Amino acid sequence: MQADYGTLQLNYLDPNAVHFCRQGETIAMTSDDGQSYPRVVLRNCFPMDRDSRYLSVRDATSEDYDEIGIIQDYRDLPEADREAVATEIALFYFVPRISRVRSLKNEFGFLYWEVDSDKGPLEFVMRDNVIHYVRPVGPDHYMLIDVNRARYEIMDLSALDKRDQKLVRRYLSL
Amino acid sequence: MDENKANDEHPFLVAELPTPVIRRLRSEQGESDRIRLAVRSDLAPDGQFGEQWLLIDEQTLWVIENSGSQALLRYRYALDDITHSKVERCVGNALMQVTVDERPQVLLHYTNDLMDQFGRVAHYLCQRAEDGPEMPVPDPNVNNNRCLVCGRHLLDSTTTICPKCVQGSKVARRLVDLARPYWGTMVLIIGLLVVGTALDLMPPYLTRVLIDDVLQPGGQAQLLVWVVLGLLGVRVVRVADTVVTNWLTTNVSARFTAGIRAKLFAHLRTLPIDYFDKNQVGRVMTRINTDTNELQGLVTQITRFALNIMLVIGIGAVLFAMSPSLGLYVLIPTPFVIAAALLYYRYMRPHFKRVWISRWRLNAMLSTFLSGVRVVRAFAQDEREESRYTERNDRLLDNTLQVDLAWAKFFPLVSFAFAAGGLIIWYAGGKAVLAERITLGTLMAFIGYLGMFYGPLSNLTQISQAMNRFLTISQRIFEMLDEKPQARPEVPVVTRGLDGEIVFDRVSFGYDPYYPVIKNLSFTIKPGEMVGVVGHSGAGKTTLINLLCRFYDVTSGSIRIDGVDIRDLPMEEVRREIGVVLQRPYLSRGTIAENIAYGRPDATREQIIAAAMAANAHDFITMMPEGYDTIVGEGGAGLSGGECQRVSIARAVLNNPKVLILDEATSSVDTKTERKIQSALDELVKGRTTIAIAHRLSTLYNADRIVVLNHGRLEEQGSPVQLMDRKGAFYNLVQMQSQFASLEGVVASV
Repeated sequence: MQADYGTLQLNYLDPNAVHFCRQGETIAMTSDDGQSYPRVVLRNCFPMDRDSRYLSVRDATSEDYDEIGIIQDYRDLPEADREAVATEIALFYFVPRISRVRSLKNEFGFLYWEVDSDKGPLEFVMRDNVIHYVRPVGPDHYMLIDVNRARYEIMDLSALDKRDQKLVRRYLSL
Repeated sequence: MDENKANDEHPFLVAELPTPVIRRLRSEQGESDRIRLAVRSDLAPDGQFGEQWLLIDEQTLWVIENSGSQALLRYRYALDDITHSKVERCVGNALMQVTVDERPQVLLHYTNDLMDQFGRVAHYLCQRAEDGPEMPVPDPNVNNNRCLVCGRHLLDSTTTICPKCVQGSKVARRLVDLARPYWGTMVLIIGLLVVGTALDLMPPYLTRVLIDDVLQPGGQAQLLVWVVLGLLGVRVVRVADTVVTNWLTTNVSARFTAGIRAKLFAHLRTLPIDYFDKNQVGRVMTRINTDTNELQGLVTQITRFALNIMLVIGIGAVLFAMSPSLGLYVLIPTPFVIAAALLYYRYMRPHFKRVWISRWRLNAMLSTFLSGVRVVRAFAQDEREESRYTERNDRLLDNTLQVDLAWAKFFPLVSFAFAAGGLIIWYAGGKAVLAERITLGTLMAFIGYLGMFYGPLSNLTQISQAMNRFLTISQRIFEMLDEKPQARPEVPVVTRGLDGEIVFDRVSFGYDPYYPVIKNLSFTIKPGEMVGVVGHSGAGKTTLINLLCRFYDVTSGSIRIDGVDIRDLPMEEVRREIGVVLQRPYLSRGTIAENIAYGRPDATREQIIAAAMAANAHDFITMMPEGYDTIVGEGGAGLSGGECQRVSIARAVLNNPKVLILDEATSSVDTKTERKIQSALDELVKGRTTIAIAHRLSTLYNADRIVVLNHGRLEEQGSPVQLMDRKGAFYNLVQMQSQFASLEGVVASV
């Protein structure tokens, strides 16, 4: 069903009429009506939902990344296309999930983190300003934003071990 | 083998390249010696942490993945085939793209840490594509965002040295310099502190005399009144000493910080506009207000530290002198006291912070609600807002209760530690008294000193924290004072009497040098001509104005007024000859008359009224209760947007500039007001070189020429009629707007 608010309509792409193909690091799209885009950019409209719905497909060759259309749920794509899309999204959203806090300290208004994540061990620095750089996503689910605007997630604070939890709660004033 | 030139330029490169990469390069007909640029990405092609190298020699670009044991060639392109390159932000990482044969090709991803390096490479590739292979190869690994001392990535973009490397001695020396006018007072304060310490040490001593020599059977009873009077005298002098010390300290610290504030503001005036773009208003405000306030608090705190140090040393010395063995007992609780003070920081501070944050959240929600109360009502969301407020309020209550609870637990424990220290002395000292090794008076004096000893001691545990803070803040303030003022030409080249011919000669500019906003732009504006500049948002219209007013200087090319590069003109001259009417007019606090005469404070009343008349502002001004004496600006009468705009036009009229810039002067007002402003402007532009930026193209109907910008480039130019005939970019813009206009007409006629 198409969402209809007067003249505003979402331009849904038919998952069976578009085709995605990765060439190296680039993802291209062709559609059955003969359109071909050598490189498209995929953006999740609701990235915090972490699902496959509302994927905005944009033309990377246009100056303003014009939207080509929205895929309502990319799981409806044929298998090969779906995989190409999933890989692209995984590359685009590089948000390590913190599984262990090795060390956390505050120096001169900055928090220095040393953590293990699903992407491997890493270190980052964030401003000691909880209001702006720690975003509560859900119960015990937080997103941290570091000085480089990179993002990290604590998916479930209560699932970390007791020491880590205490550390995080103390420094983030949770 | 001949010495390789490129190698000399970047000698570190080859040494840094991992062996597998060098080997792979060789097998792909590359030579590591010839590499002129190498940047390492920290992500592998699969999006995990890893290592990829982007290498460039004279002709070729390689991307090589290094998996540790072996290296794989990912991409290879001839540099001559690359027509464009750019970097693109993703989430938590970024990517670099090149265009080859009109096809975009993503080369690699990297984390945000490396934004600068790859940005430089992309910039270089673009320049090379435009200017040819002679372009010098940049060193992308030079990072100006690193600490000048230790090279660590700088976290606070407003400083050049990281807090760790702040050189205490250097900062201290500068602080001493700044404090020079207060030297006399400071010496006086130190003297008073010494006196105060001595006075503090006296009462227990007199108590000892009282007990041992007076209140004994057979003691000197006649001394009683003198000792008590002595105690009274000490107290009185101590009070006087404290009052004077506090008064002097406050005086010095307040004057000292007020002086710094004045210095900072005076310095702000000289800074180039881009300083204010790089530093948000909030941050500069913090520097000037909060930092100096904190500095004042810290100065006072440091005086207290000085007093406490003297007290601890003085009391310690007296205690040991009175009884070396008991003196040792005093030291027993010392570690506990210090531990308790440190624990306080660790244990209590997070609680206080939580309360602070939840209070902030509550206040933020309240202020949003109040400023948006109409919207809340209109969407019938009162109830939900109320429950949100209640939720946050409960949270604040919880956190406050927790602090009280924590405090209730913490405080008795610390008091116990202090009291236990006293008990040790009572026991050991009591035994010494019984064994007649010391007198009862000595023991009482000891207990008295002890009570004065632990307080200052626990206070001193905060000294390093306070000193660090003090140095960091001072450093930040010095950083701002050291910020380079905008370059001013030594000799004024040209005198008054400009005609107003403006030439843009191959002008390029980017706020960030890697992302040019204006690209190789050339056009000429004849004296007295009115030129309209149009284009989509982001086309570079406002940037053009910023360059002409010399808020920024061009990256390359030049802007000339009457044949003279504006960089060779004294800044005041440029600004005096250029009148600006901005989209959002700035009125400073003062009367309307003062605002109109802002650029020429010596203007007569007639001139002010005449200017207001020309700007179509006279009527509404005279209708106000205080007429031209109405206070506007910060906290003043609320003028409507159109009224403000007309006042600012009057200001420009009075300034009588040769060149007039109208930056979307009528974009934020209704149609009726727009007409009024437009007729005021029509008056103003007569006989002046005018550059007008407008969204509503109808306001450019009387322009002599239209310049259409597209992504920083000149797309087309000509008279409105010519451009309409050509049916190009301008024609399209007009078509789009006339559809809007007819829509507006329909709405208006309903």
